[in-house]
Amino acid sequence: MASRKADLAVVGRDQPRLDGAHKLTGRSLFTDDVVLPGMLHAKIVRSPHARARILSIDTSAALALPGVKAVITHADAPKLYVGIEQPLFRQEIVNYIGDEVAAVAALDEATAAEAAALIKVEYEPLPALFTIQDATRPDAFLIHAKAKGNIAWQQAQDLGDVEQGFAGSAHVRTDTYTTNASHNCYAEFHVAIADWSLPDKLSMYTPTQTAILFQKSLAGALRLSDGQVRIMNLNTGGGFTGRTSVRPHHDVAAVLSRKTGRPVKVRATADEEFIACRAGGEVKYTFRTGVSDTGQIKAFEADITFDTGAYVESQMIVLTLTSSYIHSLYKIEASRYSGRLVHTNNIPYYFHHGGGLAQMAFGLGQHMDALARELGMDPIDFHLQNGVTKGHTSMTGTFFGSCGLAECIRKTAKQAGWKRKYGKLPPLKGIGIGVGAMASGAKGVFKHDTSAAFIKIVDDGSMSLFVGLPDMGQSSHTAMAMIAAEVLGAQATDITVISGDTDIVPLDVGALIQRGTFNTGNAVKAAALDARKQLEVLAAARLGVKPSQLVFRDRQVYPKGQPDKAIPLKKIVYDTLHSREGRFVMGRGFYNSPKESGTMAYSFGAQIAEVTIDPDTGFVTVDRIVASHDVGRAINPRIVEGQIDGQVFSGLSQVLYEQTLLENGQVMNPSRLDYRLPRSYEMPKVEHIIVESIDPFGPFGAKEVGEGPIVCTLPAVANAVANALGEPVNEMPITPWKILQILGRRAKARAGS
Amino acid sequence: MQLPLFEYHRPASLDEALATLGTAGSSLAVLGGGTDLLINLKLRLERPRALLSVRELPELAGVSVDAAGTLRIGAGERLTDLATHPLLVARYPGLAQAIRAVGSRHVRNMATLGGNLCLPTRCWYTNQSEGWRGSQLPCWKTEGQVCHVIKTASNCRAIHSADSVPALIALDARLLLRSSQGERELPLADFYRDDGIENNVLAPGELVIAVLVPPARLRSVFVKAAARTGLDYGYATLAGALGGSNRAPKSLLLVAGSVGTMPMVLHQSARIILADGLTEASIEAAADAARDDLGEVTNLFTPPGYKKRLVRGLVRRVLNELRRQKLPAAD
Repeated sequence: MASRKADLAVVGRDQPRLDGAHKLTGRSLFTDDVVLPGMLHAKIVRSPHARARILSIDTSAALALPGVKAVITHADAPKLYVGIEQPLFRQEIVNYIGDEVAAVAALDEATAAEAAALIKVEYEPLPALFTIQDATRPDAFLIHAKAKGNIAWQQAQDLGDVEQGFAGSAHVRTDTYTTNASHNCYAEFHVAIADWSLPDKLSMYTPTQTAILFQKSLAGALRLSDGQVRIMNLNTGGGFTGRTSVRPHHDVAAVLSRKTGRPVKVRATADEEFIACRAGGEVKYTFRTGVSDTGQIKAFEADITFDTGAYVESQMIVLTLTSSYIHSLYKIEASRYSGRLVHTNNIPYYFHHGGGLAQMAFGLGQHMDALARELGMDPIDFHLQNGVTKGHTSMTGTFFGSCGLAECIRKTAKQAGWKRKYGKLPPLKGIGIGVGAMASGAKGVFKHDTSAAFIKIVDDGSMSLFVGLPDMGQSSHTAMAMIAAEVLGAQATDITVISGDTDIVPLDVGALIQRGTFNTGNAVKAAALDARKQLEVLAAARLGVKPSQLVFRDRQVYPKGQPDKAIPLKKIVYDTLHSREGRFVMGRGFYNSPKESGTMAYSFGAQIAEVTIDPDTGFVTVDRIVASHDVGRAINPRIVEGQIDGQVFSGLSQVLYEQTLLENGQVMNPSRLDYRLPRSYEMPKVEHIIVESIDPFGPFGAKEVGEGPIVCTLPAVANAVANALGEPVNEMPITPWKILQILGRRAKARAGS
Repeated sequence: MQLPLFEYHRPASLDEALATLGTAGSSLAVLGGGTDLLINLKLRLERPRALLSVRELPELAGVSVDAAGTLRIGAGERLTDLATHPLLVARYPGLAQAIRAVGSRHVRNMATLGGNLCLPTRCWYTNQSEGWRGSQLPCWKTEGQVCHVIKTASNCRAIHSADSVPALIALDARLLLRSSQGERELPLADFYRDDGIENNVLAPGELVIAVLVPPARLRSVFVKAAARTGLDYGYATLAGALGGSNRAPKSLLLVAGSVGTMPMVLHQSARIILADGLTEASIEAAADAARDDLGEVTNLFTPPGYKKRLVRGLVRRVLNELRRQKLPAAD
């Protein structure tokens, strides 16, 4: 298979999104567009208390309201759990503001809301815990009896001889950082439509990153077999790691549908969105690194405590992900990790971008920058010296078959004019670098990490590609069509991508761990090759060459080097079917990493940010970002740039703007007005550098670009602010008030000296 | 969130509007562009039986200057039209800047000047959905006896954040009010009260008809510090209007907005400039003095200490801009 750029006809060229016109003209369907016959609308009754005892629930007035079809409480689903420990409805104690207590289904949404307000719940308020500090005091009460010390989950790991590593270090530096709760701010709010009117089949429309995980966890919780649960995810309006697991509203819709025998839709209101999204979660990080005189890392230690809020559902994964990150970026000889999830009466935590890695990069990137400064080293030299390289095998067993980290750092630094600027900018102007790495898929969710694909080719040459990978805005379906088109000598526009229905499409673990391009891309490539083999039989006979001599390109098939002998692709397809054999061309393929565990490939990136601080207001303006990313191979370069832009946006937004403000467990800014996301006006100029390291295992050499850029943006912006201020801000977000406070303090110190 | 049911009145004349307003009392809410009122209805913060739309009333329209040079702006004028009005842009640049600073373009396309002048105060303990408020004990605004913002306060300390107001007060503007009983005029600065609920002195049955800006050749500036320009409520705003020259200023009003329950006039800062003229040193001194003039600064949306530091920075910025600005041309 061709892999030199010149030999590629489709891959590596800019291809507009296949559904771009539909998106722009509002024709793309989302769950909220779906209206089923007889569909009811549901509202959830939530606890107004951060912790309280339920004394009584009176549903009589709600049930008496005309139009109300059902009310459900704990009694209707006593053994139904969301995740591992959260009962769908509370029976005795509510544990956070927003905890589900009851739900109602009615003919329309307004009636459901009216009925929800008529459900009278009597509470006895109880003391509550809102900080990691309070929850981990020895005398703190236990939010869940089995979580001793309110530690919901913990993980510790030593690799290599850590003590010896630190003992042998010439310098050791320790820093602590805090990141505050933030919210994924999906374009599409949380919504689910369940149809469980027949007992042996539950159909659910909902946005998701992974239909398979939804199918499995709904089936498990509702005591159905996997095949009895059908998940339909149409378009998904944003994922950002947040749509990877079933939330209470999915079960609410299912249980209400079962009870009423009608489809039920439930959707979050603007402020409920912050609860459904699990926008809680302060995180405290301590990083300790020992280095030699020359700046070689000898030992690294991370201690991370997450405020996981009232319940644990699948947050444990954040500990696994954050524990191994350092090894994907630097060559480390000894490392120690200890992490824990602490229960509080806040909204449950769920990570926002990159499985908690983006947040962590805010601190980790600043820590490494500070360490380099302390050694008198340029941070760029520090990253180059310690960064992983091609052929390296990490302590965690990852082999780096490709690695463009050094190339990313060098190219970014050159374009940004780093040497000219670093340490030489006027006051209140700053420049900073962030580097990062990101996995392209990984085993761990299941024993396998399988994606599968079917392709069918009809006799006019048009094709349908069936994949389980959702498109949540990242243009994955366009990329999949491009990969299939490259193999089959077609154009991406010849291919219709069919997705979003577990009854139809083959297995796919989903759009998480940045596995889409790598895993599903490999599966699609295999399916397309399988289809091509079926076409090669006839084509080889017609052209009188061996199948291996055939070229499929530009909707034609010809012997290598003899395009003048080309036969139109669709004629090959037509004749293959309209023959005595009557072969209908159907390709199938799947990909599963051959490794026992972990990741086949990592992508790498480097970003340099330049900022200006306004001394009157404390506002930070990001003036420029130079962003490079090693994507292995850019399947669709323009979309790669779009992915970089989106993550630069979200990264600088997290550093400078976003915070879920919690007061006694309640979100104070539950709206897009008060929870501030920047807009295009606040975006800097982003300069893209695509580095292609051509991964030996990726489809056409491709790796991920799903979350890799954002882990560079956070430290780049934070380091640029520290560079402008003359000291770091160790808490995210970096607000104007923290900046003015620091400027005021520094002015006072100057005046005093 | 859905709107509650309400009656809708669209009177054809001012007289008809005032007659309806006079008889309906507090069960009726005046609807300008609806950019704030309709949201508050969805939040169930207000529960009027009826809405009275005044936006199309011809008597509330128009921007004009009379023979004596007084500028009159009808309360029904759309903010988008005012922000780009040639007369305002040329003669009252600070006012045009302030109006352009209100909300987003979409908001300004609907919102009226009268609506902005009567904008209810805002607070994140009250401007939330009814369900959200269920987690909080009632406060002064929701028929309770406590202020969640400033626990010791004996009345509502919600924040006043109408951007046109500081700019108009700086211009010494007056307000024309009318009811079916008659008409009255008062300085805009006297219209506001230091109470987040009864935030102005508009009497039952009264309607804001127009704003009157007295004749004077002034330099004027408005600045707003907001997280996202052209969308957000301000962290703080500052308006300044200056008469005379840099060396010998004759008049100066500096007015801070979005810092407390009503706009705050910074007398001390202005006094320094009037005494010393506009110099680098006097501007620094005036900025430092701003802190003393600020009344009770609310800790809504930002820490109060930040608002104080911010106003200092904004005073510096406004005075520097005034110093650079050319005096608007005479007619």
